[in-house]
Amino acid sequence: MRSQSIYKVPQGKLLKISVEYDGKNNIIRDIRITGDFFAYPEEAIELMETKLRNVLIEREQLLEKIRTIISEYNIQFIGIDAEGLTQGIMMCKL
Amino acid sequence: MKEQWRLLQTGFNTAFSNMAVDRAILVVNSEGKVPPTVRFYGWKPPAISIGYFQSLTDEINLDACKKLGVDYVRRITGGGAVFHDKELTYSIVISETHPAIPKNILKSYGRICNALIQGLTHLGISSTYSPINDILVNGKKISGNAQTRKERTVLQHGTILLDVDVDTMFSLLKVPNEKIKDKLIQDVKQRVTSLHYVLGKKIRFEEVAEALKVGFEEEFHVELIQGILTKEEKTLAAQFEKECFSTTHWNHRR
Repeated sequence: MRSQSIYKVPQGKLLKISVEYDGKNNIIRDIRITGDFFAYPEEAIELMETKLRNVLIEREQLLEKIRTIISEYNIQFIGIDAEGLTQGIMMCKL
Repeated sequence: MKEQWRLLQTGFNTAFSNMAVDRAILVVNSEGKVPPTVRFYGWKPPAISIGYFQSLTDEINLDACKKLGVDYVRRITGGGAVFHDKELTYSIVISETHPAIPKNILKSYGRICNALIQGLTHLGISSTYSPINDILVNGKKISGNAQTRKERTVLQHGTILLDVDVDTMFSLLKVPNEKIKDKLIQDVKQRVTSLHYVLGKKIRFEEVAEALKVGFEEEFHVELIQGILTKEEKTLAAQFEKECFSTTHWNHRR
C-alpha cells in the first residue's frame, strides 16, 4: 500500500514523505522524501531513498538505519534530522 | 589593496536561463577560472522556482502557471517554492576554502545574509538574519536564501522582495489543505513584507542592486568590479538551460 505524511520538523522544515510498503509485514518497498529542507550533498536524498528500501517500518530500526546512512555517507541535513525523518515515515504507517 | 571580486548584472531572463547561469558560474569558478562572483538578476516572465527536494506537482498549480504565463523551474539548491515576480535576486559563487566563508554551512548562510543586511541599511532599512535562511524586517520575511556546495564551491542565491502579491502567489502554489487556504493566505500576508511596504514607496531594481553591491563590499571587505560572463560560462549556461533546467526530466524528477 501507499501512504503519505506531512510533518513539520520542530524548529525545522516541512517534510513530505510518500511510502509504498507491504501491508502484511510493513517492509518499505519504495519511498520518496520531499520538502523544503536542505541536504548536503543534495544527491544524498536519492541515496537515502534507495537505502531505505526493504527496511521495516519500526521506529528504533528506522532511526538506527537512517543514522547509519547519515554517518556512513557524511550527509548534512539542515531543517530535518534522523528523528524527523523517522517520525515522517512512522506517520505513513496506517 | 582590497581583494577584487566580479559583479555581474545580467538583467531579466527566463527561469531556465537564470538557473543555468548560476550553475555555470559555479562550475567555472570551481575550476579556478573566474574570481568570486556576485550576480544580480530578475525574472522575465515571472516564475516559480522550487527547491531541489520538492515535488513539482505537490507544490505548483501547473494549469494556473500556464494561464498566467508563469514559468517554473527546479533549483539545484534546497529550500522552498518561491514566486519570483517583483524582486531582486542575487547569487554569490565562491570557493568553500575562501577565508571569508565559514566551513559550517549554517554559519555561512548567516555570513552571506549579513551582506544583504548591510546592503539594506543603505536603503535606511534595519533587518535581521533569521536562521535557517530568512532575513526579516520588523519580524516579517523580506528575503529567502538557499545554498548548495559542489566541487568545493559555494553557490548561494536568494531574493529581496521589492513588492509582493500574496493572492497571485497562492493561485500558483498548492497548499497541503485547501480547507485552510484562506487562513494560510492571511497568515502569509502577516508574515511577509517588501521594500515597497517598508519604505512606503516603490523602489527601482537598480537602486536596490547598488545598495546590495555596497553591502557585499563592506561585509566582505572587497571591491566588486563590474564584469561579464566568460565565453565558457555562456556556452555552459546554454548547455545547462537546454539539457537540464528547461526539461521535463529535470523539473518533474520529484
